[in-house]
Amino acid sequence: MTLTATAPPRTTSTAKPGRRRSIWSYWRFYLALSPFYLIFLVFGLYPVASTILLAFQKWDGLGARQLVGLQNFRFLLEDSTFWLSLWNTVVLFAMSTVPTLAIAMVLAVMLHSAVRLKGVYRIAYFIPNITSLVAAAIFFAAVFSTNFGLINAGLRALGLPTEDWLGQPWGIKIAISTMIVWQWTGYNTIIYLAGLQAIPTEQYEAAKVDGAGPFRTFFSITLPQLRPVVLFTVIMSTIGGLQTFTEPQVMVGNSGGTGQSGLTVVMYFYNQAFGANDYGYAAAIALSIFMLVLLFTAINWKLLGGRGRQ
Amino acid sequence: MELSRRTLLAGGFAAMLGSTVVGCSSSMDTGSTKKNATGNIALWCWPGGLGKTVLDDTIAHFPDQHIKYSEIGGDFKQKLVTTLNGGTSIPDITGVKGEDIASLLPQADRFVDLKTIGADSFLGDYLGWKVKQATTLDGKVIGIPIDIGPTALFYREDVFTVGGLPGDPAKVAEQLKTWDDFLAAGLELKKSNPKALIVADATDMYGTIVNQGTERYIDKDNKFIGDQDHIRKAWDTAVKAITTGVDGKTLGGTPDWNAGLDQGTVPTVTGAAWVALDIKAACKTSVGKWRVAPTPSGPANFGGSFLTITKNAADPAAALEVIKYMLSADNQAKAFADAQIFPSAPAAYDKPQLKAADPFFGGQVPIEVFGPAAKDIPIAYEAPLDTAVAAPFTDGLKLVQAGKKASDAAWAEAVSKAKQIGKRQGVQ
Repeated sequence: MTLTATAPPRTTSTAKPGRRRSIWSYWRFYLALSPFYLIFLVFGLYPVASTILLAFQKWDGLGARQLVGLQNFRFLLEDSTFWLSLWNTVVLFAMSTVPTLAIAMVLAVMLHSAVRLKGVYRIAYFIPNITSLVAAAIFFAAVFSTNFGLINAGLRALGLPTEDWLGQPWGIKIAISTMIVWQWTGYNTIIYLAGLQAIPTEQYEAAKVDGAGPFRTFFSITLPQLRPVVLFTVIMSTIGGLQTFTEPQVMVGNSGGTGQSGLTVVMYFYNQAFGANDYGYAAAIALSIFMLVLLFTAINWKLLGGRGRQ
Repeated sequence: MELSRRTLLAGGFAAMLGSTVVGCSSSMDTGSTKKNATGNIALWCWPGGLGKTVLDDTIAHFPDQHIKYSEIGGDFKQKLVTTLNGGTSIPDITGVKGEDIASLLPQADRFVDLKTIGADSFLGDYLGWKVKQATTLDGKVIGIPIDIGPTALFYREDVFTVGGLPGDPAKVAEQLKTWDDFLAAGLELKKSNPKALIVADATDMYGTIVNQGTERYIDKDNKFIGDQDHIRKAWDTAVKAITTGVDGKTLGGTPDWNAGLDQGTVPTVTGAAWVALDIKAACKTSVGKWRVAPTPSGPANFGGSFLTITKNAADPAAALEVIKYMLSADNQAKAFADAQIFPSAPAAYDKPQLKAADPFFGGQVPIEVFGPAAKDIPIAYEAPLDTAVAAPFTDGLKLVQAGKKASDAAWAEAVSKAKQIGKRQGVQ
């Protein structure tokens, strides 16, 4: 509430007198825009700012806050569990995003050329995305369980050795990324499909006239034309993938399972804040997640967006 | 236009930062607690925390207090802490879960010291070790125990007898006195039935053994003692279960665990009284084949909550009367019959509701095992940081369990990690 009271007078005092009228003459527009900004200030910017502040403090959630300077970050650098969780997050991100986007692209191209039941397929592929995460995670934990799981039953039927999926470091990662792939392939398929439908048919006709086969057409026309769409999906997957939390939390518990193999940075943050009541340290971890997402988004942007803009 | 928008944003940001600072400085000021309005008592607990019959009866018994009960779902402690920070709508009486009480003791000034309002007269009705959990180092008592979680050994009588082990609870108690006996019995059982592994999960077993001790990871002087013999012994026993091959590596609550309980591949569970509910839920065909025996090497406790009175309570004495009534031995027996809430007042163990035989356990009377266990639980100081420091040890054991690390290497890593976590929070 202080925000609305103090902010406007500052604006008027710094703005030139001649411009003042022109700003106030837009008040209706500002008023129309204000609900979003006010809500964003209270529920978006304020928590972000207090998180930044908290990262330099020690706080158990109830007692007095204590300024500790850069201590939280110093601990972070020495904390092998933090680096492990960072590594897990990046590996899980790679193990889930690459297959998700590759499969989504293939499905989209196939759906695009399908003649019948397009709507049915689209709905079928999208349904995993709107399934409850927790329910799906419980289901996948059952599928990957050692003695009574579907995967091991399949392996046994084929005469192959079974695996203690959720008890082995790599098994945990495979189980988690399988679930992410299952959940997000359909979503990306729909986005690629929309992108495909926006490519002008003249280009395909021209390619056909020039004698290009389906693969040549895909790599020379479809993929380059889809570049902005691909960039969008990669960035969205990055932001989502680096914040993986529910899947491992439900499947292997707060500790992250064997070798803490399923412990992601967000889970580690959650454990520190709400498990260990170390809110200052958790805020420092949260900031590191922010930096990580920023870094990856910048890399994606450079790799995928760079050439398109020239 | 752009310039002014920027200044507006900057101004807004500055104002916000200002209010952040103000916000946190005001939350530092814990001295000025606003009292709740008199004439009614707000009571918070989580779903299933209090027996419904007892709750309704208590509300009816104190018509003048206008008890308003709120059932708070989800992360209860988080919601309580947030409300305490917010400073308004703070309940007069609130439940605090057993696993959260240690971390709330440093904030004892948010709660009423029940000794100052006359709780002394009936504190003796409850188990001493449990009251101790809600007692600060300087002697303030902030909670009256609702329930406890004494452990026992649940086992499959049919699997035991077929495997050459005694089936009768008294004989099981006699043969499985210590963990070493238990592991030896496991080898015996495995010989005739390779699928029945006596330890459900060695990391779980480790936690039980630590809970059986009188010392944990941090002592009263805030010194780290997790690298000492009492913890190492628990570790070595768990490792022995792994290396001798009697560890089923089946985590409680997983689909494998549920299926194993019913099919006899998880023939024992060492757990608190309330674990019986989970076992009953998982078993369809093995009803009546389960039995209860004392925990090898003595009882331990898992969980059990408290009722506390906040500093904001308008009339703490009246609130204490409500608690005293609700948690009397008679009402605790009712709550047990109602919702399996295990009484914290030993007088309740003689009530008919607890003396009942349980057909699930083949007509055995479980209280004959749990009652003596409850009275015999060791007192151990639990530091606020205990859970956080304990985590590396279970993580390390999981690696040994998965065959990814040798016991000694995993132990060394666990100790160094635990020390680092402790150091971050000022433990020596």
